[in-house]
Amino acid sequence: MIVEAAQHRAESVAVRCGGESLLYGELLLRAGAVAHTLRDLGVRRQDRVAVLVGKGFAVPASFYGVLAAGATLVPIDPNSPVRQIVRILRAVGARHLVTEPKRAGVVAEALGHCPDVAHVVGLEEIEGRDDVFCMPWNEVGTRHETELPDIAVLASDPSYVLHTSGSTGVPKLIRHTHSSAMSFVGWAADEYSLTPDDRLSNHASHHTCFATFDFYAAAYAGAATVVLTPAVLKMPGSLSALMERERLSVWYSVPTALVQLSLRGVLEARDLSALRWILFAGETFPEKHLRRLRQQLPGARFSHVYGSTEVNVCTCYHLPEQEAPSPLPIGRPCANAIADVVDEELRPVADGEEGELLICGDTVMSGYWNEPGETAASSEQVFVRRPAGGGFENVFFRTGDRVRRLADGNLTFGGRADDQIKVRGHRVELGEVESALLSVEGVEHAAAFAVPDSEGSSKILAAVVGSVGSADTVVAQLRGRLPVHAVPSRVELLDTLPRTPTGKVDRKALRRSARTEERKG
Amino acid sequence: MADDVHEIEDRILAYVRAELLASGETVGREDDLLSELLDSVAVLRLAGFVDQEFGLTTRPQDFVVENFESAASIARYIRRSHTARQGG
Repeated sequence: MIVEAAQHRAESVAVRCGGESLLYGELLLRAGAVAHTLRDLGVRRQDRVAVLVGKGFAVPASFYGVLAAGATLVPIDPNSPVRQIVRILRAVGARHLVTEPKRAGVVAEALGHCPDVAHVVGLEEIEGRDDVFCMPWNEVGTRHETELPDIAVLASDPSYVLHTSGSTGVPKLIRHTHSSAMSFVGWAADEYSLTPDDRLSNHASHHTCFATFDFYAAAYAGAATVVLTPAVLKMPGSLSALMERERLSVWYSVPTALVQLSLRGVLEARDLSALRWILFAGETFPEKHLRRLRQQLPGARFSHVYGSTEVNVCTCYHLPEQEAPSPLPIGRPCANAIADVVDEELRPVADGEEGELLICGDTVMSGYWNEPGETAASSEQVFVRRPAGGGFENVFFRTGDRVRRLADGNLTFGGRADDQIKVRGHRVELGEVESALLSVEGVEHAAAFAVPDSEGSSKILAAVVGSVGSADTVVAQLRGRLPVHAVPSRVELLDTLPRTPTGKVDRKALRRSARTEERKG
Repeated sequence: MADDVHEIEDRILAYVRAELLASGETVGREDDLLSELLDSVAVLRLAGFVDQEFGLTTRPQDFVVENFESAASIARYIRRSHTARQGG
C-alpha cells in the first residue's frame, strides 16, 4: 500500500505531527529499515511483533515495518498499566518489541515478567538485562535499503492483533487478517471518496481500530494523516487552531471529542471550511450537542459509523441535510457486510422488533487470540454458523448489541446485552472494575455502576463494603491497576449493598441514590 | 516577584500531587502535565482549581496548551490574567 503511494507520490506528505512532515518516500525508507532490522533479528512470517510507542512518526514507521517483515503487528496502548502490557506480550508470545526511549522504565519492568521477549528495537539497553538484544532507533535509521524484504504474505495471514482495555482481568485480543483489514480500508476510502488531497485526523491511540482508518485508509488513498498529540487533544481551543492550520478534511473520533470541540473549541473563531466529513463512532452522540456542532460546521457532512474492534465498521448512516431523526440510526450494512437481527434462539425477528445484531462480512476478525489460560474471550461464543446452501455455512459474529430494523432498512441501537459500557469512547466491563475493587485489601463487597455524565457519555461510580480507611484510599489504589478511564470517579463506603429479591446487587437502586446525591451536591 | 511565581507554582503542584496523580508519581515545575500525566478530566479539574483558587475566569480561548502545559506556564498565565485585570 505505502509502496504504491511512495512510488507515485514520494514527495507527498504521508504523516504530519507537531508541525513536521513525513513524506511517503521517507516513510517507505523508515518502514523498510524497521522491516530489514526485524528480519535480521529473526522475525519470520506470522511472528507477533509488539509495538509500544506514543503518538508520532514512530507509529507509521513501525506499523508498516512490522507488516513489511511479514509479521503480525500487536500495537499496545502506551497508557496501559505494566501488568496489562505483560499480559498482552505473554498472551501473543511476542519475542520482539518495538518501542521508544521514553518508555525504557515501563519496558524494563514489563520484560522482567516476559522471558520470551529477547529483542527490543528502540532502546540502547535495558539495565540489568544483558540477555535482551537492544537496537536503538539511530542504528535502525542507518539502513538505507530501497527495497522492502521480498516475502510472500497471504490475504488470510494475520495482519494485526488489537486489544481492548480489559480493565482487570484480561484484555480481549482481536486478530484481523490482511483481508479483513483491507476490506475495511477499501470500503472506507471509497465511501468517503478519499483522495490524495485529503488530510485525515488521527485522534485515537494507535492500538485502536480507529487508527486503522486514520493511517491505512489515508495511505490507500495517498492522503495525509495528521496526528493529534495528547496535549492538543486535551485543549479544545488548541485543537481547533490546529485543525484550521492543517486544513483537516476528514475527522474520525468518538463523539466525546467532538462535544468538547463544540463546547470549548471556539469554533466561531476558526476557518474549518476544508472539513468535509466528520465520522463518529463508539457511543451515542447526545442530540443537543450534535445539533449545535452541525450549526457550527455547516460545510461538513456527518456520518454515524457503527462497529467494534471485532468487525471494524459494519454499518453507517450519513446524516441528511435537514434535521436528523431521533434516535440517530446506526444506518444500513456497509457494502461488504450483511446484518441480521435475531432473538435469543438466533431466529430472525420482524422489522421494528428489538433483537441482537449479527454481522457476516469481509471486515470481521478471524477470531480472538486464544492461548490457553491467558485470554478470557472465546471465539466459539461469538461466532454463529448458519447454513448457506450446498453444505456451506456463513459465519456470523454476535455483536452483543441490541438493535431494531426500521421500515426504511436503517438500524437503531438499543443498548448492550451485557454489562459493557462506554466511558468517553473506551469499552469498560463493569464486572472487571468490580474485580479490581475486590482486589483492594479490606474490600469485601463491591459494585460498579454507570450514570450519565454531563456531556452525554457515562461515568463510573462504585460502592464498596469492608474495612478500608477511606474512599480516597480505594481510588488511589485503583489508579495503578485500571486504565484511567475505568477508575470510578467516586467510591462510596456503605454498610451493605442494596440487593434485589433474588440476591443480586441492585445497580438500579445504586444509580438512583447516586442521582439523588448529585442533585443535593 | 520570582518568589510569587514559585509560590503559585507550588500551590498548583500541591493540588496536582494530592488530587490528580496516583500515589508515588512525581512532578516538577516545568514538567509536561498534558502529554501523559493528566487525562482530559483531570485537566478540566485543574482548570477549575486555577479559576477558583486564583480568582480567574478561564475562557475557552484561554484554555490552550500554551497556558496549561506545566505548573510554570499556568503560573505565567495566572500572572498575565491578574496584570490584565489590574491594567484594564
